[in-house]
Amino acid sequence: MGLRPTHYDDILATRPAVDWFEILSENYMVDGGKPLHYLDRIRAEYPMVMHGVSLSIGSTAELDLEYLRALKRLAARVEPEWISDHLCWTGVGGHNLHDLLPLPYTDEAIAHVVERVQRVQDFLGRRILLENVSSYVTYTESDIPEWEFLTAIAAQADCLVLLDVNNIFVSSRNHDFDALEFLRGVPVDRVRQIHLAGHSRNGDLLIDTHDHPVPDPVWDLYAQAVGIFGNVPTMIERDADIPPLAELLAELEQARALAADALEAAA
Amino acid sequence: MSELNRAQQEFQQHLMAGDSTVVKRIVGDARAPAQERLDVYYQAYRLRLIEVLENDFAGLKALLGDDFAVMVNGYLHAHPSQHPSVRWFGRRLQEFLATVAPWCERFELAEMAAFEWAWGQAFDAADAAVREPDALARISPDAWADLQLELHPSLRFLQLRTNVPMIFGAVARDESMPDLVTETEPVDWLVWRRDLVVRWRSLTVDEAWALQAIADGASFAQLCEGLCDWHDVADVPIRAASFLRGWLTDGLITRISTN
Repeated sequence: MGLRPTHYDDILATRPAVDWFEILSENYMVDGGKPLHYLDRIRAEYPMVMHGVSLSIGSTAELDLEYLRALKRLAARVEPEWISDHLCWTGVGGHNLHDLLPLPYTDEAIAHVVERVQRVQDFLGRRILLENVSSYVTYTESDIPEWEFLTAIAAQADCLVLLDVNNIFVSSRNHDFDALEFLRGVPVDRVRQIHLAGHSRNGDLLIDTHDHPVPDPVWDLYAQAVGIFGNVPTMIERDADIPPLAELLAELEQARALAADALEAAA
Repeated sequence: MSELNRAQQEFQQHLMAGDSTVVKRIVGDARAPAQERLDVYYQAYRLRLIEVLENDFAGLKALLGDDFAVMVNGYLHAHPSQHPSVRWFGRRLQEFLATVAPWCERFELAEMAAFEWAWGQAFDAADAAVREPDALARISPDAWADLQLELHPSLRFLQLRTNVPMIFGAVARDESMPDLVTETEPVDWLVWRRDLVVRWRSLTVDEAWALQAIADGASFAQLCEGLCDWHDVADVPIRAASFLRGWLTDGLITRISTN
């Protein structure tokens, strides 16, 4: 599950049955104090994975080497099972818009991202995972579906995939595509992690807000995903209106039970 | 410029300045026209960064109330984020509030921003083990003159004319805010972290000078010499030793060297 500061003490006091914690990398790129204190203590008890929001792998700005150095330093401290970020861009011209902005699905963008993923992987000395983002726009120049875009980049850059089932659901509604077709379009051997989350509605669009429990249609899609990809490490993201630890653990149990059922059904 | 770069420049200009050049690049459909789709990003950009500053500057939010969002929109326009982590987004808030109307007409706003920024800096500054008060007992009498001290990396010094630290404390404890009080002369304040907890207290003028002198590398003898500006020569060693004990008790000292 996602490691959030509000749960630090509960985790250490109760040692919940969580397989691993995912940290938001940028929150721990600091010199000391509470964040690194709890990071080290919880890391001593649990495996961790690192999830970033500022790699900006699709930006046409230069790769931020200072950020990459900070990421590598943090990885040396955490020794994560893997490092992930998003298939998106977050700004150009020295700005960071702190949003996961979509790319046009074009050959130009594929070539651009592939070259950058390769440089990042060379720098970090390991393969990274890229996550599909929720989107609210489609570029007129996009000439392939999102899953083909993701798949082409993963294959050409030899990187892995973090599949966000909620993002697939949100985008499928916003752009009227078949979410199942997305799942079937992604190569099984590249999917290393799954994210689940809740979303909100804004008029006719769904918005990826991470402030609700996982809703039924996303659970249904997750069951389909487990049927296709097998027992992939899964995490529930909650970044706003974060409930007590026990509530998130109950949701995690729901994911485990659902995955077990789906695996049994697929066997 | 590549087509991808052009698209990103235009998209960013929409988010930051409402420029509509990018609209032609976006598909509109029966579910939502292109402009409405882009507006999701336009609104989210502002809401997200307002929320970031609400968390990092809760005292300022309490002072400004509903005007907080208006203020952040102005700040966002003047100083858009340039750092990978939102933790640094408020870096220039004090400067903005001190210089831009109407905010600069209430100087407690810039003071609160300065105080809360110092608080945040102390919160995740580098760690360092502190010396305990009994460390003084092991120093031989003839070594005191050359004594040099190192301060904890979290220490931040401030000069404030208003009681914003008290207002901040009340907000943090979820209590009603005390009335704003403005002093005729600025008061020195110290913000630092002890273990994992950020602390703050006011300093007398001589203690503020003494701590700053230590930060600048002064020896205990130089400290005593400087304190003569405020005290009789005969009283100075006791005053200086009392500061030193207090600093050790507060966890401000990480190293005592006697050369």
